[in-house]
Amino acid sequence: MNTDRADIADSGRPLTSEERAALDIVLNMIVPPSADGRMPGAVEVGVPAYLCAEAPDALPVLCRELEELDRRARERFARAFAELEEHDRKSLIGEMRARESSFMSRLAAETLACYYQHDRVLEGLGIEARPPYPKGYQVVQGDLSLLEPVRARGKIYRDAP
Amino acid sequence: MTTDVDVLIIGAGASGAAFAWSLADTRMRILCLEQGDWMNPADYPSTRRDWEVRMDREFSANPNIRRRPEDYPVNDSDSPISVLNFNGVGGSTILYAAHFPRPHPSDFRVRTLDGVADDWPIDYAGLEPFYALNDRQMGVAGLAGDPAYPPHEPPLPPVPLGLAGETMGRGFNALGWHWWPSDTAIATRDYEGRAACINLGPCKSGCAQGAKSSADITYWPLARRAGVQLRTRCRVREILVDDKDMATGVVYYDEHGVEHLQRAEVVVLACNGVGTPRLLLNSRSARFPDGLANRSGLVGKNLMIHPWGVVRGAFDAPLDSYRGPMSCSILSQQFYETDRSRGFVRGYNMQIIRGFGPVATARMGVARGDIPWGEGHHEAFARRYGRSINIGICCEDLPEECNTVTLDPTLSDSNGIPAPKITYRLSDNSERMLRHGLERGTEVMKAAGAWDVYSEGPVRQTGWHLLGTARMGEDPERSVVNGWGRSHDVKNLFIIDGSVFVTSAGVNPTPTIQAVALYVADAMKQRLANLFD
Repeated sequence: MNTDRADIADSGRPLTSEERAALDIVLNMIVPPSADGRMPGAVEVGVPAYLCAEAPDALPVLCRELEELDRRARERFARAFAELEEHDRKSLIGEMRARESSFMSRLAAETLACYYQHDRVLEGLGIEARPPYPKGYQVVQGDLSLLEPVRARGKIYRDAP
Repeated sequence: MTTDVDVLIIGAGASGAAFAWSLADTRMRILCLEQGDWMNPADYPSTRRDWEVRMDREFSANPNIRRRPEDYPVNDSDSPISVLNFNGVGGSTILYAAHFPRPHPSDFRVRTLDGVADDWPIDYAGLEPFYALNDRQMGVAGLAGDPAYPPHEPPLPPVPLGLAGETMGRGFNALGWHWWPSDTAIATRDYEGRAACINLGPCKSGCAQGAKSSADITYWPLARRAGVQLRTRCRVREILVDDKDMATGVVYYDEHGVEHLQRAEVVVLACNGVGTPRLLLNSRSARFPDGLANRSGLVGKNLMIHPWGVVRGAFDAPLDSYRGPMSCSILSQQFYETDRSRGFVRGYNMQIIRGFGPVATARMGVARGDIPWGEGHHEAFARRYGRSINIGICCEDLPEECNTVTLDPTLSDSNGIPAPKITYRLSDNSERMLRHGLERGTEVMKAAGAWDVYSEGPVRQTGWHLLGTARMGEDPERSVVNGWGRSHDVKNLFIIDGSVFVTSAGVNPTPTIQAVALYVADAMKQRLANLFD
């Protein structure tokens, strides 16, 4: 499943360029690209567009929190959030997770849903990018001789009058 | 006004389907009203790439999440366990796991053997022919010779153990504990016109292959061919009675909200352990001010729901554990029969559940902190995906009158019919049993080689098994229906679903629900001349 990257503003108020940059940073902090380049980051697989399509009810809180993130960055570091050093970003996002734990759990869940359905991700994991039906899967039948000790111990149910 | 019928069945799920098929050979005019619709297997999540997300939304087992027009809400705020169900032809078998173990003979003699609760008015031996018949009609896979059961022979070979089942089998062997390939309502070979299982995985969101034995594709085609009429999107509001305490029919709404009266000589309730008491309590009248067939005061009481624990283990070796019927592999009944030295009476079933898909693996791992945000995410995911196994601990809860289904004073469905409210708590016995199960599950996970084990219970989204709310018995003061499902108070009203269970056993109830439905149908056929005496 591939989703084009789209501006989250399509289904809510326009995001400022700073907020959009902040969103990308937050999403890639949930799932970053792998160091070996095999796995993409969350932004690369179109999570922003997925949020618009699948979680529109979460967008107002998202916009508010991105605004708050940028406000705190400017207040504390006199810079936009996207311009901060890594550890300062992490510190502010940590505050955001503590402040809005329910929303951030939702954001993570939606991000992971988008990410782990994406063709590039599944291919990176060595999984065929297809629905289970109609091809199905092969499963090892298993060694039923492992049951011998269970048989040997005999009956374990009680008789009932 | 609609044409009168001889027998009106309310609900087209596991019990209604089996009952309709069995009773069809009487050639009576039989009509079934179902509030849901037919399902189209082409719409099931496994046909689409976003199958994992759809499982959690429109195919959620929780009606309060699913919220389709044919669903009714359930107030479960006063229970640690949410009610799960499905409304449609096939009922909850559309979404059930198809784990299909029978109870033990001792489950029907709880008072005699263990001094708790009550004995059933029927027993395992009496039901055995109906279990066997149901196994054939549904298409049940399994392996004969399980020493936890009296001899029986499933008609189809067992589902594959997979690497996960083998791994756990070795763990159980290391501890000297029982395990066995579980009876499973899945066609492991082509069977009665149905194609064999191809290991899609997400059985609990409907089987696109048609291999899982849901009642819409097993009993219903045969019942309809034999003349049973099935009317969908028809929601019954109340059952009517005359001044002789005989049911005369029902009032129902069609899918457009139009009210209809359907008359019948016999009314049969097959709406599950929540839907049935809800309908009886909604059928108040001058003669039954506390709800129909409720002179005992027991309609809606003694709700049993099987407190459920889960033990998750992560292994080093790849197990392909996301492949194959998700909830069907092996079981253990090592701790099923009563052993008072454990600190509780009765027991539990351990059900081995395979691993999850990538989305669920990631979501659960992140939620629990096993898979971090950011650095280390990919490595942690790789250590768990396809390498995890789960154990479900299905505890037998005993009947208690404080665990109830009542009518919510404000909540209602889309037709304005009052919705059910669940009040449930775990007894001390259930708490001790669950704790024991989680500890033993952890022990066997470690014996099987898991490097990380996590357990929790009771798990909220597990209230599949809705039992006991219109129990059977011979004493009209202590039961709602007699030993063959007929209401003590209303002689032409029958109940055939899980409501009639006297105790819950420690296993998934669908085989017993269907065996009881077939048993009641058989009892009725033998008494047709004097059914109401």
